[in-house]
Amino acid sequence: MKLRKLTSLLCVAAVAMSALSGCSGSGGSETTAATEATTTAAAGGESKAEAEGETEPAGAELTGEPIKIGTIYAMSGGSAAIGTNILRGIDFAVAEINAAGGVDGRPLEVVRGDHAGDAATGRSEAERLITQEHVDVMMGCHMSVVTEVVAQVCQQYGVPMITAISTLDRLSNEEHKDMDYFFRLCPLNSVYVEDMLMYLRDSKEQTGEEIKTVAIFTDRAAIGQELIRCVELFKDEYGLELVATVDYTSNATDLSAQVLALKQANPDAILCDSYIGDATLFIQTLKEQNYSPKMIVAKANGFTDPSFITNLGSIANGVASVVEFNPDLTNGKEINEEFKAEFGVDMNGHSAESYTVVWLFKAAIEAAGSAEGEAVKEALANIEINGEFPGGRKIVLPYDKIKFENYDLAGEAHYRDNTSASVAIAQIQDGEWKTVWPFDFSDTKIAYPAPLQ
Amino acid sequence: MSMFLQACVNGLLMGGFYSLMGMGQNIIFGVMKIVNFCHGEMLMVGMYLTFILYTFFGIDPYLAVPIVAVTMFCLGSLIQHTLITPSLGTKSFTNLLFLTVGLGLLLSNGALVIFGSEYRSIRTAYSQTYIQLGPVTMALPRLISFGVLIVVTVALFAFLKYTTIGKQIRAVSQNPVGAEVVGIDVKKIYILTYGLGIALAGTAGALLTQFYTIFPTAGASFGFRALIVVVVGGLGSIPGAFLAGIFLGLLETMSALFISPSYSDLIVFMTFIVILVVRQTMIARRK
Repeated sequence: MKLRKLTSLLCVAAVAMSALSGCSGSGGSETTAATEATTTAAAGGESKAEAEGETEPAGAELTGEPIKIGTIYAMSGGSAAIGTNILRGIDFAVAEINAAGGVDGRPLEVVRGDHAGDAATGRSEAERLITQEHVDVMMGCHMSVVTEVVAQVCQQYGVPMITAISTLDRLSNEEHKDMDYFFRLCPLNSVYVEDMLMYLRDSKEQTGEEIKTVAIFTDRAAIGQELIRCVELFKDEYGLELVATVDYTSNATDLSAQVLALKQANPDAILCDSYIGDATLFIQTLKEQNYSPKMIVAKANGFTDPSFITNLGSIANGVASVVEFNPDLTNGKEINEEFKAEFGVDMNGHSAESYTVVWLFKAAIEAAGSAEGEAVKEALANIEINGEFPGGRKIVLPYDKIKFENYDLAGEAHYRDNTSASVAIAQIQDGEWKTVWPFDFSDTKIAYPAPLQ
Repeated sequence: MSMFLQACVNGLLMGGFYSLMGMGQNIIFGVMKIVNFCHGEMLMVGMYLTFILYTFFGIDPYLAVPIVAVTMFCLGSLIQHTLITPSLGTKSFTNLLFLTVGLGLLLSNGALVIFGSEYRSIRTAYSQTYIQLGPVTMALPRLISFGVLIVVTVALFAFLKYTTIGKQIRAVSQNPVGAEVVGIDVKKIYILTYGLGIALAGTAGALLTQFYTIFPTAGASFGFRALIVVVVGGLGSIPGAFLAGIFLGLLETMSALFISPSYSDLIVFMTFIVILVVRQTMIARRK
C-alpha cells in the first residue's frame, strides 16, 4: 500500500515538474509583454484616436489616391502591448509625411491587420489586406514565425514587405533566397550578440583596460542557448576567451551557486540573458556573495524591464544592456521629445524601427516613381540611405546607413538584410539608462568598473 | 576553502526555507495523508500579504511575520473546513489531488488578476546590508530570516511534543481511528493542522520577501522543493523534513561547487529518485 502511494506520489511529482517548467518558460515572455501592457494600455487608446485625428485633416489636403501600407501586428491577445508601440511609430511617421506633402503628392494610409500572435491568423490577414484592401506595401510582424508566413503571402502576390523588428536569423537565410519581395531593417539576433562583443572590444578606448575573458550567465531555456551559440560563433574573431558558461532553470529559487562559479572563473566581463525575476535575483546575489564583476552586458530581456531598476535601486548601477533605441541617443533625442509630446511615453526600439520603415517606403516609392509592387521592390533592392532620408529626418536609430544587401554572416549566406543595422549599448547610471555605445551616438562615458551600488 | 565555506553558508541559509516549506507540507501529509499541491502558492500568498502590509501600512516585513502567520492560519482553516474536509469523506485521492492543484491555479491566477504580472520587491533600509564574517559574506535579511526559521522550528517541535493539541495532532497522525475512539475531535485537528501547515508556508513567504522577487508564480519552485523534502525526509516526519530541507540546500550548493552549477538540478532530482528507490527496496525487503 505504502509502495503504491509512493509511486503515485512520484508520478504526480513528475507531472508537477513538467507543469512547472512549462509555466516558467512561457511565464517569462508573457510577463514582459503584460508588464508593458499595464503601462501602455491606458495611453494606447487615446493615442490612437489622436493619431487618427491628425492623419485625416492632413490627408484631406492631399488630392492623390492614397498609398496603402498594410500592417500586421498583434492588436489583441498577450502581445498586444508590443503591437501598440509599433503602431505608434507607424502612425507618427505617416502623420509627419502626410503633413509635409505626402509621397509624390499622394497621402499615406495605414490599413491594420491583427495577427493576434498566431501564424494562421497572420496568413489570412495578409491575404485579406492584399486581395480586399489592395495594400501597396506591407509591414510586419513582431513574431518571427508570423513574419515568415506573411512574407510568403506577400511574395506570392508580389507585394513588397519590410520587417522592422523580426530578428530571427533564419528569416533571411538560404531557404529564403528567392523571396525577393522581403527585406529586413533590424539587426539579426546574432548581430545583437556580435555588437555586445564589439562593445567589449571598443570599451578599452574609454576604460583603458582590455577585456580578454568573458563568462556567460543565462537561462537554460532557448534564449540562453541562442546566446551561447552566438558567443561561440564570434568569440575568436574578437579575441575573447570564454572562461565559464553558467546556466540555471528559469525562476530559480537561489542563484548563489551560479554566482560563486562566476566568481571562481573571474572573467573580465559577464554576458547575460535572463527573464526579469532571475535578472533581479542575479544582481542581488552578486552583492550577497561579495562579487563585483567589472562589466555586465545583458541581451536586453529582463534587464531592460521597467521593474528591474525599481526593484534593485542603486545596486543596478553599472549594468549594461543592448537596446535598439534609447531616448538619449544623439540621433533620437529630438524625435523622442516630439513623440513623447504626442503619446505621453518615450519612443522605444519597436516604435523607432517601425517609424523608420515608413520613411523607407516613402523613399523607395518616390525613387520608383510609382507604388507598383515590382518597381518598389527594385527600388528597395537598390536604395541607399546615408545619414538622412531625402526631404526628411536623420535616421533615428544607432546607425547612419540603410542598404539591403546579400552577405555572409559567420559562414552562412543571408539575403536582403540591412547590413549596417546595429544596436546600441546602454548602461544604468544614476538609476537611468544612458546610451554609452556606439561612441558616435552618445554623450555618456562608460562607468567602469560597474559600481553596482 | 573560502568558496567552500561560502557555499556551506549559502546552502544552510537556503535550506532553512526548504525545511520550513517541507515541515508545513509534512505536517499536513502526516495527519491527513494528503499532498497539498497548493503549498507553493500559499508561500506566494504570504509574500503578497507581506508586500501589502509593508507598502500600505508601513509594517516591517519581520514584524509582519506574526500577522501573516495568523492570517494564513485562518485562511488554511477556512479552506480545510469548507473544501477539504467534505472531500476527505470520499476517500478519493484524485479528488483531493485536483482540489489542491486547482486551488493553487486559482491562487496564482487570482494574484495575476489583482497584482498583475509585474515583479515586485520589498526594500527596507537594511535589505541591502551585507555582513562580512571572515571569508564569508551574508545578506543581513537572510541571516535574520534564518534566525526566525530556527525559532519557528523549535517552537513547532515544542508545540507538537508538549502541548495537548500537539499531542492530539500526533495521535491523529499515528492512528486516526484510535484517536477518535479516545475522544479526540478529528475534524477539529484536521482544521488546526491544515491551518498550521499553511501558516508555515506563509511564514516562509514573508521571510523571503526581502531578497526574492514577488510574482504570481513565485511559489512554484519552492512548492516543488517542498515535495522533495517531504519524500526525502520521510512522509509525515517533522524532524526528517527539517533535516532534509537543510540537506537539499547544501546538496544544491555543494553539487554546484564540486561538479557544475549546470548539473545541480540534475543531481538534486537524481538523489531524490535514488532515495525513493532505496527506500522502496528496503520496505519491500522488510515485508
